[in-house]
Amino acid sequence: MSVLLSVILRLIFWVGVMCFIAGIALIGPRRLYEVAHEVVPILRDAKVPIAGLLVVLVASAVGRGALQTLSELVGFELTGAIFALEGNFVGWIQANFVTTEATIYFSWIYIYGYVFLLVFPFIAYAALPKTTMFKRLIVAYALNYAIGLVIYTLVFAHGPRNLDVATSLLYSFNPDFQALTSEVNENTNVFPSLHTSLAVTAGVFGILTRREYPIWVWLSVWLAVSVMISTMYLGIHWLIDVIAGIGLALACVYLSYRLIEDEDGAREPDDRPDELAAEPTDGAAVAGDGGD
Amino acid sequence: MTRTRSRRSVLAGTGLAVASAGCVGRVRNIVGRERSDQLTLEVLTLPADSDPNAVRIAQHLRGHMSEAGIDARINTVDQAELLRRSLLNHDYDIYVGQFPQAVPFEADSLYSFVHSRFAAESGWQNPFGFTELAVDDLLGEQRSADTERRMEHLAELQEALCELQPLSVVAFPDAVTAYRDERFDGWEFGHPTSAQGLLRLSFIPPEERDGEDDGDEDADEPATLRLTTTDDRITENWNPIAAEYRRHGTFMSMLYDPLVRRHDDGPLPWLAAGWEWADAETIRVDLRDADWHDGEPLTADDVAFTYEFLRDTSSGEAETPVPTPIFRGRTTIPETVTAIDRSTVEFEVGSVNTAVAERALEVPVLPEHIWRDRTELVNIAGIALDEETTEALVSPNDEPVGSGPITLVDATAETEAVFERNSDHFLLDLDPLDPAAEGDSEDDTTDERPGEENGTGQDDTGGTRRIPNAFRGKPSFERLVVEVVPSDIAAVQQVGDGLADATLSNIGPEAVPRIGREADARLVNVRSAAFYHVGYNVRRAPLSNPRFRAVLASMIDKAAIVDDAFQGYAAPATSMLAASPGLVPEDLRWDDDRGTDAVHPFRGRDGELDVDAVREAFREAGYRYNAEGELLSRDQ
Repeated sequence: MSVLLSVILRLIFWVGVMCFIAGIALIGPRRLYEVAHEVVPILRDAKVPIAGLLVVLVASAVGRGALQTLSELVGFELTGAIFALEGNFVGWIQANFVTTEATIYFSWIYIYGYVFLLVFPFIAYAALPKTTMFKRLIVAYALNYAIGLVIYTLVFAHGPRNLDVATSLLYSFNPDFQALTSEVNENTNVFPSLHTSLAVTAGVFGILTRREYPIWVWLSVWLAVSVMISTMYLGIHWLIDVIAGIGLALACVYLSYRLIEDEDGAREPDDRPDELAAEPTDGAAVAGDGGD
Repeated sequence: MTRTRSRRSVLAGTGLAVASAGCVGRVRNIVGRERSDQLTLEVLTLPADSDPNAVRIAQHLRGHMSEAGIDARINTVDQAELLRRSLLNHDYDIYVGQFPQAVPFEADSLYSFVHSRFAAESGWQNPFGFTELAVDDLLGEQRSADTERRMEHLAELQEALCELQPLSVVAFPDAVTAYRDERFDGWEFGHPTSAQGLLRLSFIPPEERDGEDDGDEDADEPATLRLTTTDDRITENWNPIAAEYRRHGTFMSMLYDPLVRRHDDGPLPWLAAGWEWADAETIRVDLRDADWHDGEPLTADDVAFTYEFLRDTSSGEAETPVPTPIFRGRTTIPETVTAIDRSTVEFEVGSVNTAVAERALEVPVLPEHIWRDRTELVNIAGIALDEETTEALVSPNDEPVGSGPITLVDATAETEAVFERNSDHFLLDLDPLDPAAEGDSEDDTTDERPGEENGTGQDDTGGTRRIPNAFRGKPSFERLVVEVVPSDIAAVQQVGDGLADATLSNIGPEAVPRIGREADARLVNVRSAAFYHVGYNVRRAPLSNPRFRAVLASMIDKAAIVDDAFQGYAAPATSMLAASPGLVPEDLRWDDDRGTDAVHPFRGRDGELDVDAVREAFREAGYRYNAEGELLSRDQ
């Protein structure tokens, strides 16, 4: 277990450092200092979404084994179908674009870049004058996890590295990381790619808050795209998983806007995108069951 | 579904034309015929995390099948699920897997593997549904023939099986183990991760280790042997007869002592102190004085019960017997097993030869007082689910009570299993320095089998062999911890980092070079008898057709697979008995100069399939292609 512990400590350290630097640069030291003193009221204000996220995370941690068994028993086995559909795409990526530098970069992105991309928005949106975006972010994360968990149970599939379509670059380069990823995930949870969906969720939120954090837009989109590519480059996910992950992310952002209305329209921190606002309302109730 | 739909659409489209033209009869004759669709076959195997080699064989075959116009799919499931489908439910087209015995096995193992009498049973006994009278006859004859005749029968049997291909043998892998020898010694002998290999290891006390400056760190700790595996089944199920949870049965055979343990140079009396031939058809076995882990005495009644129970786990409660999915060949050898007194058992074996008769003694002995309560048919909340499954077969057996040298202490599912040494085991009481032990036989009593078929060179002195020195006073570990890791690379890493003493599960070619890079890790590899093979469900058309299987077999380039997938850590083979080269007839041995299979040579070169040749072979066998080059199936 000491391998796991050292990986976790390294992760916490580096993500902490990155959040600190980004916080100073993007939010500003004064606002950051203020936020540190407003933590309790902010959390209290967002208690319902936070409780929802915690419920989903706990359910995921506790029920994963049981759901995995259920998935084995009744899930649709789609490994063969996915492979038949997209073929050697991931293998092709690895055959043509693998370099040592790229592997180091994408391994770093897959673990550190990804966690930073998910964690920093918590701080950034807590620092906004209103908690709307903060709540939406939490709701969107919770929905991603909840829906992802349901699909994982329904779909039983292994990733490209397990079919020898691609090499397991992440674990060949950093065997330690597998101690971490195997703790938080099963190797049959590939469809959809939650790495992609959560990263894209954070990226889309980055775009939606472009007025508040103009630099974060570029950073978050760059990270989100990198995470997306890294899942395939490292041989962990199929292209189809990534596409499904993008779809899930957009759906979750949309639903988070439906579920968390802006409290007073006058000082809305961003403009709600037209295409999201124009969507019909059906579907919200369904996903709401999973999220809250 | 597609077939019905397409017929219906044809019908709808032609409805008007039929009504107007009036040629109803002809149209009915046309649309009334079922059209052929492309043949679809699924190759079932393990994900690379569990077995880095099997999936490569599966991909090799799948790719070639696709080139030949078959809609070939690959499907990966976990270890227990693969066995559940292939062995228990027979719900597969083609699987790629390993034979369950890693240590070279008695040729009679083929009996249960391919005999038609087991085609309807669930388990390792004939998972293919293969039925061939000529093979059945040979399997029966090799059981009773004397040594010389038996060789001939076995040769004929292998030739028949290679010709008919109920399964295609691909290669015998090297069982690669990464280990470190600073805490335990003795890894270099035989199969280090078999039960025998683990039992003979010697613990090196901290003060005797060289180059150890932090030796006092674990001076007070018990001697713990730490092993890593990617196979988590040992953390969830300890039922010796649950075939889907067993790999090679290593830990089960250490929890449950067999009467006789197979050793490198012949059978070794284990729970049996010795055995002798009472008459030409009866073996009399003397039991050692032993107790079960729960303190109950182990008696001859337990032995007699075990054999009866393995043959029918419902003990007569079910309509038809419910045999175990494992050890099935062995339990069909004795006709009756009778307890004569508290420590003597008689096996009536009929006319089988000595080698086969002794193989009957290689099953784990189960305690009657535990297993006799597990005979009822399975039910969930009182509703009977399955007429053919008993509680004994589905029980996780989470408090295993055996008589072996280890006991289960604790387990965390998917994480680890902790065993402890059984301090009452007979091995511990044996003096390792006993000078008589190395001799083959120390008493003068002959155990020659009465009857004229003796003296043909069979080793009949096994019954009085003493336990070799290597096992005396063992095991020298006090605790045995099996830790589950996510992949072979992680397993090697654990050994390299000093967190484990050895790896248990298969190590793929990408992880092997890592062993060399780790400073304190060493590598030992032994040719395993657990051959990789492609199993065909011959209950399903067109796999039921030996000609079809022969063409499939010729699409497997065994030499290329060994070079590419195994990176040379395997030996290609034609016969299932290739681990015992003496039994394989000359023309079935692998010839490196020829470089391809003797019976079904690869149609192609260097791993590249000759597509035209394969298509021609399918056509010759009576199969057809459509205009798109798809192989058509009528019977699927």
